[in-house]
Amino acid sequence: MDPFVFHAPTKINFGQGIAISAIELLKELGSQRAVLITDKQLVKTDLVKSLIKEWQSQGSLFVFSDVLPDANLTAVNDAARLAKQEKCDGVIALGGGSVMDTAKVVNIILAFGGNALEHQGMNNIASRLLPSVAIPTTAGTGAEVSPVAMIKDDKEGKKLFFGSEFLAMSHAILDPELIVSLPARLTAATGLDAITHCLEALVVEGTSSPFTNALAMDALRMLFNFLPEAKNNCQNMEARSQTLVASTMAGMAFSSCGVGIVHALSHALGGQFSTHHGMTNAVLLPHGMRFNLSFAAQRYAQVARYLKLTENTDDEIAANILIESLEKLIKTLGLPSNLRGLDVPELKSEKLAQLVALASSDPAMIFNTRQATPDDIVEIYRNAY
Amino acid sequence: MSAFKNTEELNRVLLMLWDAIREDEQMSSQLLQSKISISFYYKEPESKLTVDCTDGNEMKIYVGEINFKPVVEMYMKSDLAHDFWLGKVNIPLALISGKIVSKGPVNKALALLPVIKPAFNFYPEIYKTIS
Repeated sequence: MDPFVFHAPTKINFGQGIAISAIELLKELGSQRAVLITDKQLVKTDLVKSLIKEWQSQGSLFVFSDVLPDANLTAVNDAARLAKQEKCDGVIALGGGSVMDTAKVVNIILAFGGNALEHQGMNNIASRLLPSVAIPTTAGTGAEVSPVAMIKDDKEGKKLFFGSEFLAMSHAILDPELIVSLPARLTAATGLDAITHCLEALVVEGTSSPFTNALAMDALRMLFNFLPEAKNNCQNMEARSQTLVASTMAGMAFSSCGVGIVHALSHALGGQFSTHHGMTNAVLLPHGMRFNLSFAAQRYAQVARYLKLTENTDDEIAANILIESLEKLIKTLGLPSNLRGLDVPELKSEKLAQLVALASSDPAMIFNTRQATPDDIVEIYRNAY
Repeated sequence: MSAFKNTEELNRVLLMLWDAIREDEQMSSQLLQSKISISFYYKEPESKLTVDCTDGNEMKIYVGEINFKPVVEMYMKSDLAHDFWLGKVNIPLALISGKIVSKGPVNKALALLPVIKPAFNFYPEIYKTIS
């Protein structure tokens, strides 16, 4: 067996209606004054309004709700300013990936001072941050357990990367009640993000382990079985619970082994055209898998058999059945199957060159099982268009 | 046993290596294109080496303190650096396990990994000169 590292520092709490315990969990960790980081849409909902009211009755809570769908430096700085002003000593993130990434970087600033730009990098945070609780309101990003954050620098138009074991949240609260109102299309898109995490984590080069494989495999089973129902019947609490837990399991898997080419190409497109991350992954995933097929057929075939998609013992045939089944699932979920469906304009050579430069330098690329040349990347984008 | 007896030995090997990279047209032209500056901080034994490609014309190599802030800073043990140049380091695992620390836009440095790979071929010969 090859050497590996598996690290899962976030304590996971699952249960219907347990989001109410966030303040109590922070208090157990010594926090008395918390900043809540969330977005404007969520604070308008009755459920979140009543949660905030309840939390404020339990302790001091200061609300920052200006996080945009694409986490950016302005929100980080504004939230950090509020939290410093109110002398906050704990952080709650309530929302999707952007909210949680914002909260992580705010936490760095609260713990170490300075500005976000000074702290970008990998493994350069020296010690624990302030107590933190993540409450995901989508089932896909895995950000509630991941040790990374990506923030857009609005002025420079580029993504800043933060990675450290200390960035992982102290607690993740998985409360399915908070995702029942997630619209069907977003349910499907975020679910595809989680599926991408699994399928990339399973074929990374040199970092996967029996732990990451087990988490990714079973998360895939749960997502293939329950995502269509979660999308079609939003109120089905069992389907919501299964997809929520699966997305966190997928997050735990990729946190210890990385993702790959689909995320690298997706980050590049998202940076240029502000496409939705989950939907972009949905479009690129079959193409990324076909690119990796010659290096990963055996692993894809194992997945296909585990998901009971086939009993065929020929790895290449079984791997292709997995890719075809995935394409069927994407279609069933009503997600776009090409970049035109994401309103990406025609990719001319100058734009393709920019995308290639961004994708090639994306940290996810070094984990991919097959090295991609600029021509390979262009071909994937063209095929996906 | 450590790959380098002391800082002087480490510096000698690193300078010879980076001189060779600078002399290699293919590697140096791609590094210059990147316009990056990177400081490498080594420990056990300690050293600091900076590669400055910011002007796009000349690759400058400094050992010790510098009077500008590099774009990226990388921290690692000298033995890890030695194994890296021998092509023996699983970089993704070293990053995930925290054996390599970086400050600044790490993606810019990672993008250059394929560029400097040809140096793996001549590092063993350079290292032999101190043994």
